[in-house]
Amino acid sequence: MGSGLIASIQRFSLHDGPGIRTTVFFKGCQLKCPWCHNPETIARKAELIFYPQKCIGCGACLEVCPAGAHKLSPDGQHEIDRDLCTGCFKCCDECFSGALQIVGQSRSVQDVLREVMQDELFYSNSHGGVTLSGGEPLLQAEFAAELLKECRSLGLRTAIESNLALPWSVIEKVLPFTDLFMVDIKHFDAKKHRDLTGVDNRLVLENIQKLDDSPVELIVRTTLVAGLTDSPGNIRQTAEFLKELKSLKYYELLTYHPLGLDKCIALGKIEASEKFSAPDSQEIQRLLGIASLAARPVFLDGKGIAENELRSEN
Amino acid sequence: MNYDQRIEHLREEKLRQTNEKLKKLGTRDEDDYGCVLPPDDFHWEPPVTRDDGSFFGAYAWGKNFRSLMENHPVYIDSCDALAGRWMFMLSRMRPGYRLELAPFPPEFDYSHLRNEQGKYDITCGIGKDAHFAPDYEIGLRLGWGGLLEKVRDCKSKLGDQDGLELLTAEEDAILGIQNWITRSAEHAGNMAAREPDPILRQNLLDMHEVNARLVEYPPQTFREACQWIAWFNMASRTHNRDGAGGQLDELLRPYYEKDINRGLIDDEDATFYLACLLLNDPHYYQIGGTGSNGEDVTSKLSFLILEAAKRLKVSCNLTISVHDGLDENLFRFGLQCLLEEKMGFPRFSGEKSLVKGFVRSGFSRDLARKRIAVGCNWMSLPGREYTLNDVIKINIAKVFEVAFEEMIGDVEDEPASLERLAELFSSHLGKAVLCTAKGIDFHLDRQFRNEPELLLNLLCYGPIEKARDASNGGLEYYNMCIDGAGLATVADSFAAIEQRVVREGRLDFSELADNLHKDFEGIEGRRIRQMLGGSEKFGQGDSLGDKWAGWLTDNFAETVKSANTPGGRRLMPGWFSWADTVRFGKSVGATPDGREANTPISHGANPNPGFRKDQALTAMCKAVAAVQPGYGSTAPWQLELDIGACDIADAADKIGGLIKTHLELGGTLININVVNAEQILQAHENPDLYPDLIVRVTGFTAYFSNLSKEFRQLVVDRIITR
Repeated sequence: MGSGLIASIQRFSLHDGPGIRTTVFFKGCQLKCPWCHNPETIARKAELIFYPQKCIGCGACLEVCPAGAHKLSPDGQHEIDRDLCTGCFKCCDECFSGALQIVGQSRSVQDVLREVMQDELFYSNSHGGVTLSGGEPLLQAEFAAELLKECRSLGLRTAIESNLALPWSVIEKVLPFTDLFMVDIKHFDAKKHRDLTGVDNRLVLENIQKLDDSPVELIVRTTLVAGLTDSPGNIRQTAEFLKELKSLKYYELLTYHPLGLDKCIALGKIEASEKFSAPDSQEIQRLLGIASLAARPVFLDGKGIAENELRSEN
Repeated sequence: MNYDQRIEHLREEKLRQTNEKLKKLGTRDEDDYGCVLPPDDFHWEPPVTRDDGSFFGAYAWGKNFRSLMENHPVYIDSCDALAGRWMFMLSRMRPGYRLELAPFPPEFDYSHLRNEQGKYDITCGIGKDAHFAPDYEIGLRLGWGGLLEKVRDCKSKLGDQDGLELLTAEEDAILGIQNWITRSAEHAGNMAAREPDPILRQNLLDMHEVNARLVEYPPQTFREACQWIAWFNMASRTHNRDGAGGQLDELLRPYYEKDINRGLIDDEDATFYLACLLLNDPHYYQIGGTGSNGEDVTSKLSFLILEAAKRLKVSCNLTISVHDGLDENLFRFGLQCLLEEKMGFPRFSGEKSLVKGFVRSGFSRDLARKRIAVGCNWMSLPGREYTLNDVIKINIAKVFEVAFEEMIGDVEDEPASLERLAELFSSHLGKAVLCTAKGIDFHLDRQFRNEPELLLNLLCYGPIEKARDASNGGLEYYNMCIDGAGLATVADSFAAIEQRVVREGRLDFSELADNLHKDFEGIEGRRIRQMLGGSEKFGQGDSLGDKWAGWLTDNFAETVKSANTPGGRRLMPGWFSWADTVRFGKSVGATPDGREANTPISHGANPNPGFRKDQALTAMCKAVAAVQPGYGSTAPWQLELDIGACDIADAADKIGGLIKTHLELGGTLININVVNAEQILQAHENPDLYPDLIVRVTGFTAYFSNLSKEFRQLVVDRIITR
């Protein structure tokens, strides 16, 4: 069996599908959404992440770095010259404060499975299972398929969080072993989608329709970023599109949160740490009302919205 | 006023009284008891004291308690269905009282034990009271008049001096209580005459009638039964803080069914009476669970009790006993209360593991099923078992420190090694347990001359009949609990040594000791501290910490169970620190898990905060389930649930799955806190902003603002690291 580049594995994951789940975060994504809350999963290689507030200035990293990428200024400030970093990650082995960490490890299916199976009993007691997320897990489709197949053979329910901006032939590899697809429509307008993510949404929409003809469940999500994705037109068009789907469990609006910012800075991607905001609560209520006109049920940040909570937009 | 309005009034009144207590008495790191302050001009002194102002023995307790009851201010709220509030704890009115060290007659000297008690930081339990369970059924059947008759009847058949003194004191206790109830009934009647609101006037008239009857007769109606339980609770609290309740749904079910069938009450009435009972005092009650044949005892009343707590929205100590046949609807309703109200109730106990453990201790399955959750961490057979649960503890972090220092001190004779440390730890643990066991014998041989259990004796099988105090052979079973505290601190310390010293050779024992003695000073010290703290921790799953936690659990359980006390009393091991992690931590220097000197030790059976990067509760769930001593005492899981986990679509499935899995895996009790980290932080900075914020500190709940800064920090640390 092959191995995959995994960013992290999160047990007791509550926001990545039904029940108690273990979420396996794959490393690598072909989209470049500037508001990404998992920026450490974008690059398709292991990366050094640095949290300066945790650094105690012990200098152990300086001693082991063969490239001289670490420097301690006279006033104790720790600086990294990422251009010099060769990615040996010896510094991480010596950093006990957690200031320097490696993101991305090559792991075998059996290795991942061993961790996933730690919570087997919880899945059956809560209607949960395993979720592949990222990053874009389908960039490592063979590995994902192998992992899902093994999970299935062990009786686990499976889910994938994907942007679906991939050829159908890739999706077909995991389809037989997947119960639930959680898919983002970042923007319904093709041009805006390309402007925001660098990728067209044509495949996304086509693949959603194809999935709808497959024996899987589907959850579609849109992240609400003020000024970028939160126009009523975008939500209306998306919801209209979803109206026709047979296997849609629900349409979920996710409020943008800035958790990715600190991680961008810690990855040394200062330029990517652009600040965004979520629409205000009144606007969110309005968008929920619009969404519900076409697609039902509607969720907001993991919680179902009752009929009487929805604002009529008629 | 309708019931909802009356509950609202009662809740606001309780909040006002709680704030008054805070202002007058300062912060208190224990239960939010239902007591209220006495009037400013109230003054009472115990009539029977020694020269030093203290008092000991049945005679003095009987006379003093009776006097306190006869002078106890009456308290009636016209909105309440039940009369009375309690205001004093007689057991704390003796000079020199401390929560961790009870007074004991100076003529009974245990200084021969004090050296080792100090050496191992043992909370010995000598002179401690209550912490076993009454059987309310006895009182509900006999009433105060019947209890008095029983005492007098037994007294007439006895010639033994100690027995006579005890039963005379029991007589005094009952007469005092009857006096208090009589005055309260009269007061309700007087208030009725002045009450303009017709509904409240009728309530006061009913209250008068109920209580006038209860002075002498056993309760006949549901309301009377609630009131009787409330009187016993208040009197027992006044005597010595006893807070054990009972299987409330089963105790009250006959009265409920009778009144419902006769059309005297409906479910709204019953829920209101229950809310008043729960408001009166946060005693520990169990609901659900099994009957003597293993059948589920869930009834309509089980739901109404939860409903009452839900409407009341104050701290309640309700536990659902979960077993394979439990009505799923009760479990789900319990979850709903937990997730919606976010006040830490109900808790969930695991009948399967508790029964299995008690059977392993040598008792029958039928008996084991009767053992119920009525305390912070503990189980007891109502009316039949003396346990001193939750008041006897060994600080195993201190035991570890003693072993480590001995190893370092003896290094000339024998080289330091992990094996040597484990051997020394086991040896010192054995000494600590023996010292604790001797303390238990000391207590059991003399406690009746210190402080007899005048109230609990009345609702037990044996003490009155045999004229022997519950602490002195009056009961059927003596299962003396010993809890270990500091499990994760010690497990992680052993693991850090194994990983960093033995396997990786990053430092030797001498360097380790040096850093511990200097409390990790300097940058290098900080780095070593982080290196040690980053070792494989208990809770990670298949880690060195998990291995050592398992070793410690087996070691502790077997050491405690391997022999009875020298006096032949049975011992029962558990893991529980109560809220003593701060106090215990103050006696222990820096430890090899990276814990700094004098900071709190780990909490109960929980892994240390930060035990895993993802902080997965599933990992914690499994870890705590895997360290159950397994003899009938608990090792509770202190579960801090982030509010975000409670406000999602299928939260009940998720949290329910977590709870059920823990109990399936061998867990015994889950004390749950639903926390809003942001709010807790703000409340920690400024407690006055959140006067009604309730947290479950350990087994008990308390108003957050009533906790000392140190205890608030403890709660904050548990939550924020996540």
